[in-house]
Amino acid sequence: MHYPWWYVPFLTSPMLIAAISVLHVVVSHYAVGGGIFLAVETRKAYQTGNNQYLGYLKDHAWFFILVTVVYGAITGVGIWWTIGLASPLATETLIHTFVFAWGMEYVFFAIEIVSAFIFFYFWGKLTPRTHLIVANIYAFSAWMSLVIITAITAFMLNPGSWPNNHNMWAGFFNPQFIPQVLARTGGAFLLTSLYVYLHASFKVKDQQLRNLIEQRSARPALLGAILIVLGGGGWFFTLPESARFALAAASVLNVLMVIIFVLTAAVFVMMYLGPYRNPGWLSPGFAILFFACGLTAVATGEYIREAVRKPYIAYNVVTSNQILPQEIPGLKQNGYLEGGRWTSAWVTKNYPQAVQGKTIDEDKLLTLPETDQQKIGHVLFQYHCNDCHASENGYAAVGHLIRGWTPEMIKLVVEHPEKAHFFMPPFAGTPQEAELLTKYLIGIAPAHPEGMNYGNNQ
Amino acid sequence: MDPMTLIGQSSPLGYPAPYWFLVMFKVLGFILHMVPMHLWFAGILIAMHFRMSKHEYARTLSNRLMKQMPIIIALGVNFGIVPLLFMQVAYHKAFYPATILMAWYWLAIVLLLTVAYYGIYIYAAALKNGAGKMTRISLVSGWVSSVLFLAIGFIFSNGFSLMANIGAWPKLWESTSVAGAPLGIGLNLADHSLLPRYLMMFGLALLTTATYIAFDSAFFARKESTAYRKWAPAFAFRLYTVGIIWFVLTGSWYVFGTWPGNVRSAMFAMPTGILTIITAIGPGSVWLLLMLKFRNEISKPLALAIGIFQFAVLAVNAVSRQIVQNVEIGAYYDVTSEQVNIQWSPMILFLLLFVVGVGVVIWMLRKAVTEARQTIS
Repeated sequence: MHYPWWYVPFLTSPMLIAAISVLHVVVSHYAVGGGIFLAVETRKAYQTGNNQYLGYLKDHAWFFILVTVVYGAITGVGIWWTIGLASPLATETLIHTFVFAWGMEYVFFAIEIVSAFIFFYFWGKLTPRTHLIVANIYAFSAWMSLVIITAITAFMLNPGSWPNNHNMWAGFFNPQFIPQVLARTGGAFLLTSLYVYLHASFKVKDQQLRNLIEQRSARPALLGAILIVLGGGGWFFTLPESARFALAAASVLNVLMVIIFVLTAAVFVMMYLGPYRNPGWLSPGFAILFFACGLTAVATGEYIREAVRKPYIAYNVVTSNQILPQEIPGLKQNGYLEGGRWTSAWVTKNYPQAVQGKTIDEDKLLTLPETDQQKIGHVLFQYHCNDCHASENGYAAVGHLIRGWTPEMIKLVVEHPEKAHFFMPPFAGTPQEAELLTKYLIGIAPAHPEGMNYGNNQ
Repeated sequence: MDPMTLIGQSSPLGYPAPYWFLVMFKVLGFILHMVPMHLWFAGILIAMHFRMSKHEYARTLSNRLMKQMPIIIALGVNFGIVPLLFMQVAYHKAFYPATILMAWYWLAIVLLLTVAYYGIYIYAAALKNGAGKMTRISLVSGWVSSVLFLAIGFIFSNGFSLMANIGAWPKLWESTSVAGAPLGIGLNLADHSLLPRYLMMFGLALLTTATYIAFDSAFFARKESTAYRKWAPAFAFRLYTVGIIWFVLTGSWYVFGTWPGNVRSAMFAMPTGILTIITAIGPGSVWLLLMLKFRNEISKPLALAIGIFQFAVLAVNAVSRQIVQNVEIGAYYDVTSEQVNIQWSPMILFLLLFVVGVGVVIWMLRKAVTEARQTIS
């Protein structure tokens, strides 16, 4: 509305955010946990004089840099790219609120990059003490990056008192902050162990060294699993009511929640009985299985985190269709088309007869030929609905959702979507605009499936 | 259609810091970003070209540049985040619509950069493993990366020229949208300033690369022969000369061929006119310094002076660009007129952390260099 809406056929543009976020998160957690792992284990290797283990850690540090500094850093920037394209108003709001938090995160990120390169490229050229200090600097910086970014993602789910006072710290230390930091720190530990297993299972041939790696890496994974459960519990109890109910109402989210906890528990048990108590299990197949479990749990967690926020991008701050809640009454009164810069320009260009000055006469729009009314309804759909729904086919396609509905049913839901489903935003337009949108939807609604027996067709 | 009608409203939250603060960090970040960005923009192309050279020192230079490139790219990506962050605060009304109109190209940068970056790693790893390990795949990776970085630069030029070319939005939007929603397939190709802007940046990249070659020969090439350390500054001088000619030609095209009247009046009026002149003739100072040691090994103090002067050239260029951008956007709205709600404590903490962060980085680098030298000796 404030900005042009990027139309991505079939998929919807916000799904690109989800895709890139998942691709990023599975590496960014490793960037944090891996840093802590390398700092702790390098210290252990120096203390015990285990050169073989040190050699492995150097090898792993190279793998770590290739994965995190290249892929992790670029996909991180990729999230910036996609949120600006697919959720510009939410991004604008978050950046205006947290620009200095992001600035601080940037400082830690810069330290991460430099310390990671020094840690690897100066391996063997630094005294063990300096080497470990650099490793610790990396680990701390990476974790601080996690803390800051998590505060912002937690804000999106529960901004606490920020909507009342617009105080950055109130938004930063929101009710979701500590639970999410705990869960993500746990996720970082757990995922790192899985990365280490994956790497070691292919690279290390010596059984004794393998056993050592297995045993050492199992500890952070077990701690990580505990932190995930603790953080997950806190996350659930600090969810806004709408998010908790969304979790309960959507069967797919129920199933995914179960998947996360089952996978975490399974990895915990396997890790305890396997690498921790009985080292020697490590094989590429075992490592790939573990890794797949970890990635599935993380991706599922991210999906749930995104899904329960509906109908907001940032709870009570920006709706999923790029409107500030305080704008809704005005839009209902004066019209969504008129309130949006790009929608208003579109109507002015295509139907100047319905525009006087900057005011759009919605009654005149309803006197246009039916096809024109549907075209305007399509514009409303693009800007008001396409962020969550594809039209006829694709992600959550509205066409399939209203298959076989009567015009009255469609109109009722268009006028009050938030009453039909509390996880949908209200219709932010006039009754005339609801009529136009309804006409568009009627035009794309497929017929009810034929051949279904309801007991009355004998 | 009046493009003014497409400009969104100001954020009700206001700027979290005064405009000058935001734009200062935007420009500072861009200057820092330009140094490594120039090295991959022009440097990889030169390195790949020299890879095929029969001249021994040209191949040495190629290897040196490409071995350092993974770190250079990491720094460049990192420095690029700062201007992006502060630009989104101060220029959100221009930045978001422009990038949304060309969304697929803009998003493609992420993919192209990933491929290009890994391509460089593949090439650099082959170099590290010795001459015999340079396979056809490694070579192709180097060339592909070089081309991809040129393409990324072109997309960036599109994005930032479109951001300031608000008058082009309506036509681009109407021709690439479905029911008023852009498909994200527009490019700012109709803008006459696009090509000279892009080529001028390449000219600047040649200048920075030439400067870096001289700097590298003085500071980082101790293991290379004296003959190479004499050859490198001489080549740097020649490359800088080519770069200056390129910069003057494309810069003249850009300034005299594409600047609209309002930009010309703003940039040639005093005192801004002085800045414009310094921007134009600034590279001459570095050229003169490079000429001082033509065909001789370059000393560290001189290399440092050359580096500082080139940094100043980039800084002046970045400031001029910012003024031009403000004048162009200023024809549609005033970026400085938004309300300001200063976030004092976050801002102070950020500044403190920034200073501490710079200190930590300097400490680590000094420690690393000192201890590495002791290990070698």
